[in-house]
Amino acid sequence: MNPLSIVWEKTRVNMEDYDYLFKIVLIGNAGVGKTCLVRRFTQGLFPPGQGATIGVDFMIKTVEIKGEKVKLQIWDTAGQERFRSITQSYYRSANALILTYDITCEDSFRCLPEWLREIEQYANTTVVTVLVGNKIDLAEKREVLRQRAEEFAESQSMLYLETSAKESDNVEKLFLDLACKLIREAKQNTLDNNDTANAMPGEGKAISYLSCCSTN
Amino acid sequence: MELEWNCNQFRSRKFSESGSSLLIRHSLMAESSPIKLRRCDSACVSAVSMEAISALTELEDLEKVYLQLCNEEKEVEHELEKLMGQQANMDTKMLSLHRMGPNLQLIGGDASQLSGMITFTCSLAENVSSKVRQLDLAKTRLYKVIQRADDILDLKFCTDGVQTALRNEDYEQAAAHIHRYLSLDQSVIELSRQGGESSAVDASLATLQEAEQRLKVLVAERLDEAVAKGDLAQVERFFKIFPLLGLHEQGLARFGQYLCSQLASKAEENLLLAVGGDLGERRAALLFADTLTLLLEGIARVVETHQPIVETYYGPGYLYMLITHLQQECDRQAQKVVDKFIKQRDYHNKFQVIQNNMMKGVSAERIEPRELDPVLLEVTLMNARAELYLRFLRRRMMSDFEVGDATALPGIVQEHKDSVEKLLKHCKLSQLMQELIGYYIPMEEYYMRETVSKAVAMDTYEKGQLTSSMVDDCFYIVKKCISRALSSSSIDCLCAMINHSTSVLESDFREVVYNKLRQGFPATTLQDIQRGVSSAVSLMQSSLQQGKFNTLGIDSAEVAKAAFLVTLNNVEVCSENISTLKRTLESDCAKLFTQGAGAGDQAKIDSCLSDLVNTSSKFKDLLQEGLMELNTTAIKPQVKPWISSFLSISHNIEEEEFNEYEANDPWVQQLIVNLEQLMAEFKAGLSPVIYDTLTSLMTNLVSMEMEKTVLKCTFSRLGGLQFDKELRSLVAYLTTVTTWTIRDKFARLTQMATILNLERVTEILDYWGPNSGPLTWRLTPAEVRQVLALRIDFRSEDIKRLRL
Repeated sequence: MNPLSIVWEKTRVNMEDYDYLFKIVLIGNAGVGKTCLVRRFTQGLFPPGQGATIGVDFMIKTVEIKGEKVKLQIWDTAGQERFRSITQSYYRSANALILTYDITCEDSFRCLPEWLREIEQYANTTVVTVLVGNKIDLAEKREVLRQRAEEFAESQSMLYLETSAKESDNVEKLFLDLACKLIREAKQNTLDNNDTANAMPGEGKAISYLSCCSTN
Repeated sequence: MELEWNCNQFRSRKFSESGSSLLIRHSLMAESSPIKLRRCDSACVSAVSMEAISALTELEDLEKVYLQLCNEEKEVEHELEKLMGQQANMDTKMLSLHRMGPNLQLIGGDASQLSGMITFTCSLAENVSSKVRQLDLAKTRLYKVIQRADDILDLKFCTDGVQTALRNEDYEQAAAHIHRYLSLDQSVIELSRQGGESSAVDASLATLQEAEQRLKVLVAERLDEAVAKGDLAQVERFFKIFPLLGLHEQGLARFGQYLCSQLASKAEENLLLAVGGDLGERRAALLFADTLTLLLEGIARVVETHQPIVETYYGPGYLYMLITHLQQECDRQAQKVVDKFIKQRDYHNKFQVIQNNMMKGVSAERIEPRELDPVLLEVTLMNARAELYLRFLRRRMMSDFEVGDATALPGIVQEHKDSVEKLLKHCKLSQLMQELIGYYIPMEEYYMRETVSKAVAMDTYEKGQLTSSMVDDCFYIVKKCISRALSSSSIDCLCAMINHSTSVLESDFREVVYNKLRQGFPATTLQDIQRGVSSAVSLMQSSLQQGKFNTLGIDSAEVAKAAFLVTLNNVEVCSENISTLKRTLESDCAKLFTQGAGAGDQAKIDSCLSDLVNTSSKFKDLLQEGLMELNTTAIKPQVKPWISSFLSISHNIEEEEFNEYEANDPWVQQLIVNLEQLMAEFKAGLSPVIYDTLTSLMTNLVSMEMEKTVLKCTFSRLGGLQFDKELRSLVAYLTTVTTWTIRDKFARLTQMATILNLERVTEILDYWGPNSGPLTWRLTPAEVRQVLALRIDFRSEDIKRLRL
């Protein structure tokens, strides 16, 4: 209503206990280890015999990257078909998607195009997608070759990483690299926005979905 | 430095010490001679004194020594007498000591005797205690023997009892005997068999084991019979016997089977009634929800009525097992109800049509959103009932476990908890409901999107109202959809619908409003010309708009103007409505949480709601943009020429002209009238808050333009006064039309007026720097000089000479 209140609100956001807030949503077939990845990263646990996730679970972890506090809101979704419509509703507000498959399960890899169609349909165009091949601790049962997955990821311009939630391999790297990339994009975004705002004052400027992540 | 000082001090102290020791030595030397003398007096009187005496020559000295010796003699005698007096005393003491001698020998003998006695007593005591230990051992063994004897007697008693009881078909009694037998210490029985009387015990045992087997078979048969007959009394009778035979699981399984068959027949009856019967119109829409409710309520009632029997005869912790059996039937029956529901309501087909619509946008087959209302309601009701039922089961099972878990290890408690959760979360009923909800969400989303776009299409605006029907309608729809999702009691379903609402408001709805604002506020033809003169870009714009006017006419321009203002109001109301919606939902969710949703669920909802409320600020941004647009297209082109007309009024005036201006105001009154007229349209068409913001933008514009214009003028002394008067009138007027503080915005202009009103150039120094008092200068020294230069009667040298 009044311009002062808008200014005030922006400073208030900055006064919270983080510099950036990102939403990360994990998707992929049932049983590929999404919940285990999230729990390994947020709690440092690997609970054996993890039951199927019901609906979505929600975890928060705040990490510090180059002196900046980054709050990661991680949404762990159920892979089963009947929860698809619930998980789809989270795509749009996600800053990043972690598309997970199981390297010991050809089927979970073959479903990836279907998942990409979902992303295409529901997610924001600026979303960052990472392809993750989980369970590399079961190397002897591997069904999907690394090169094949890498080529696929490249063809879809996705980042690719292989992880083991059980052995804690690459799990930290996955989330921290993602956070770094998101920070870079957010900074770029604010910059671009300022440019357009300067170029055409009064003209309707694009409103960033990352506006919560204003730089300090 | 300090250290050194300390050392010096120390040294000087040492020095003084040595000084004092010297002093002492001196005094010692001085005193030494008489002491020596006295020592000689007491130790070797004659030798020393003889030498001394023989050395003496003077009478006086001799006499003196003599006198001294006499005194000493007296003293010695006195001492001697005293010692002699003590002799008697000494003698008596010696005597008594002599007498004590034999006594001491006696005591020595006694002591050694005592020691011997103590040693003896000690060994005796040890002896006794070992005997006591032996006795104790014997006693416990005796008790065991008695126990064994009792057990064997019991065994015999049981053996006899079982047979009679079986003969009399008194199964309770027989089972009680078997229970007694089973609770006997099995190792004792084993031992007894190895003992001498093995044959008798063996016989009893054999009989008992046989009776046990027989009884087990019998009871099972009888229970099956009773189950087949549906004889509740008999079923319960035999059900109670099972735990006595140690067959808890079997008993619960058979009893569960009985209850399931009862439930199944009742459920089938209900389903038949639902499908075939003609219930009232009102309930027909909720037929399957009602049928499911009947089923679930029936099971809940069964649990409630039979929980006491299970608790009493089976002990705590067994309810879980019974419910596991019941849940299987529940799943079967629920499946039937849901299958019928899907078929009758054409649920999957509806979903498919909607899916096609949403994916491809346009499709041959469409579903009227209103048609979905009943089925959506029914699904949420079904899920709510299932949630209620599952919550009931969870509560019952947990409290049943808790009785036994009070003393159990935390691991076991967790295990119980996990098994309960697993049963409830992964049962077929939950799965069925999850599937229904999975289809429900896209359908509800479709309902929301379609209805919202319909509301947008049917948007109407009644003259005199600030907002159009679209805003209220859309929020009504969004709230309805979220509330319906909330009524399903499924947190995930609710969150998904909040997400979709955010998306609909932020993308679909905001897009609509944004596009309306983009059409801009139409300018009138006269303005267009003026704008065309001022800028080439706006010339192009206005010619475009003019083209539009030609086809639409003046009336439609009026309509477009009103539409723009209404849209601005709409945007403001939207941003407020979103906040209100969030608050309402929060309090509604709070109710859900009192029914026992977890902390994680709360966090999920909070996160989704905060996304929703963020869209509110996006509408605020939109409003701001709209106001800027209004300011640039409708206010600026008008206000600018009004203000630049100031230039045509000479302010280089003398008394005569000043008086004439006094009589006929040349400029400011007209400006005020113009502003009043310009803003009147907006005041009527905009909400007070938006109007206020717009006025603020307008006053900013006025002050900026005025400043620019004034700097292009020249002033005489009276011209400055005239300007001051004009400015005061303008500020006074603007103060009345806005709630914002105007004085601050006009501070620079007011200061310019002050400068233009000075008598002399140097007078500025009375207000500048240390003399400024409460006044804060908003003008830089350069600007002050610039303004001073506007006065034609001020010499530029004077201005240059000023030290500011």
